[in-house]
Amino acid sequence: MKKILCLCVMFFLLMAGVLSAQESVIEKIQKQGVIRVGMSTFVPWAMKDKQGDLIGFEIDVAKKLAQDMGVKIEFVPTAWSGIIPALLTGKFDVIIGGMGVTPARNLKVNFTIPYEYSGMSMVAHKSKAKGFSSLSDFNKKEVTIAVRMGTTAEQAARKHMPNASLKLFENESQALQELNLGRVHAVVSSAPMPVFHALKYPDKLFVPLKENFTKEPIGFALKKGDHDALNYFNNWILNMHAQGFLKEKTAYWFESKKWEDLVK
Amino acid sequence: MLNKRPLKFTHIDTAVIILVVAAVSLFFIRMNLVLDYKWEWEAIPSYFFFLDPITGKLKANILILGFFTTIKLSFWATFIALFLGTISGVMGAKGSFEQRFVSRTYVESIRNIPSLVLVIIFYYFVSSQFLDTLYLDRWLRESSSTTRHLIGFLFSRPDNINSFISAVIALGIYEGAYVSEIIRGGIVSIPEGQWEASFSIGLTRQKTFLLVILPQTFRKVAFPLAGQFISTIKDSAIVSVISIQELTFQGMELMTATFLTFEVWITITFLYFILTFPFSRSVAFLEKKYALKQ
Repeated sequence: MKKILCLCVMFFLLMAGVLSAQESVIEKIQKQGVIRVGMSTFVPWAMKDKQGDLIGFEIDVAKKLAQDMGVKIEFVPTAWSGIIPALLTGKFDVIIGGMGVTPARNLKVNFTIPYEYSGMSMVAHKSKAKGFSSLSDFNKKEVTIAVRMGTTAEQAARKHMPNASLKLFENESQALQELNLGRVHAVVSSAPMPVFHALKYPDKLFVPLKENFTKEPIGFALKKGDHDALNYFNNWILNMHAQGFLKEKTAYWFESKKWEDLVK
Repeated sequence: MLNKRPLKFTHIDTAVIILVVAAVSLFFIRMNLVLDYKWEWEAIPSYFFFLDPITGKLKANILILGFFTTIKLSFWATFIALFLGTISGVMGAKGSFEQRFVSRTYVESIRNIPSLVLVIIFYYFVSSQFLDTLYLDRWLRESSSTTRHLIGFLFSRPDNINSFISAVIALGIYEGAYVSEIIRGGIVSIPEGQWEASFSIGLTRQKTFLLVILPQTFRKVAFPLAGQFISTIKDSAIVSVISIQELTFQGMELMTATFLTFEVWITITFLYFILTFPFSRSVAFLEKKYALKQ
């Protein structure tokens, strides 16, 4: 029995040794010739088109990154609530998934400099939230707001509307469905999705706030302790800002609706 | 069946059918009023198949791909479940004290934790301890395209081979506990007289088990096992939480992208149904047929 126990302990120590003696993700990517990117569906950051291929702002960014590194790309679609544990346990190399840089997340993972800024916007039900036009209108006990679980939208709603009660959903479509049914007053989500949704159901929904009520930086997330990778990604992002690549993609995905025909 | 009555259609039957139809249509009308939902069914077929604009050929889209992933997943999980379940079931029924202890521990610990928890634990802790260190995905990426296609057809593409395998193993272990109980029950249900009769004609314990008990057991457990396979298909939906691109996961992705919530859920329900219904009907049919002959 003692022998078995000893063997078990040895095995785990060995495993820990293997895990701690890791090379930089950059070297691993170069060696394997493929970068594995964790992402989750978020319109219009990343989504599947009619042919089942991934498209979206993130997808363009990640593809360009892979092209510049001279490697192939593999996307790993992951449920949003489990995306950080999946990164930490090595299911992919980096999260390029519209992830907002927050202090709480930053304690668990490293973030690059922002490659994009996003803001929280809101879409509300016309009859339920009649006459609401400011955050304080929504910051009441009887107001219910639907958000996607684990997102910065959830944090923003808690911070700016602490009195309202929240309903959490695994996916955005479920939150929006709840709004369409009139069971909640509003849905908080990253721009520009709420505005698009209000345009789709103009007789039922409206956009109560003219401007986004938060501004948050969006960065790549990677495992802690990998400074080589962080340095590489940071400089790549600086370069892309300088070249105007990011600006061009922002204009296409967030300011136009040209891509809509690709999806539906 | 001796007292089989001929089917007769009475007034009561007509009334019942009319009532059911009325209730169902009332439900849908009410639902439409309450939901106030823009149905867009015309978008759905293109998620099954689409015309490739370059080659002009029909290609399978995400729902069909998810459908086949579900089949593959259930198939391999059942395979593992049968293997584990048979060993554990035999051990549990006729093994030594230690063997019975191992079998009981396995069955009771698995049956008393939710499958969802098992799948998540397996994916995050167990599979990252050993599956990722095997570098299956790297090997697969570097192998020839024939191997890649074959593995892709049987299992999954290199980009999610690791998570596919950990899902199959987790599901297999989960369903294996139920299979184990079915097999144990089957063996125990064979009357003691069979053993005694075999010993009396000079068969050893092992031979008795292999030649006399096991064949009878298999006939007894075949139908419950088929039922377990059907429930494996349904249970496979839980691995969507670890991002296996099976039917439920694909459906949820599709909903997030297109906001066609109800159309997609209804389609998925229908797909699971056409997968499991023929199975359960054929099992019922075979059960009837062989039950009479026994």
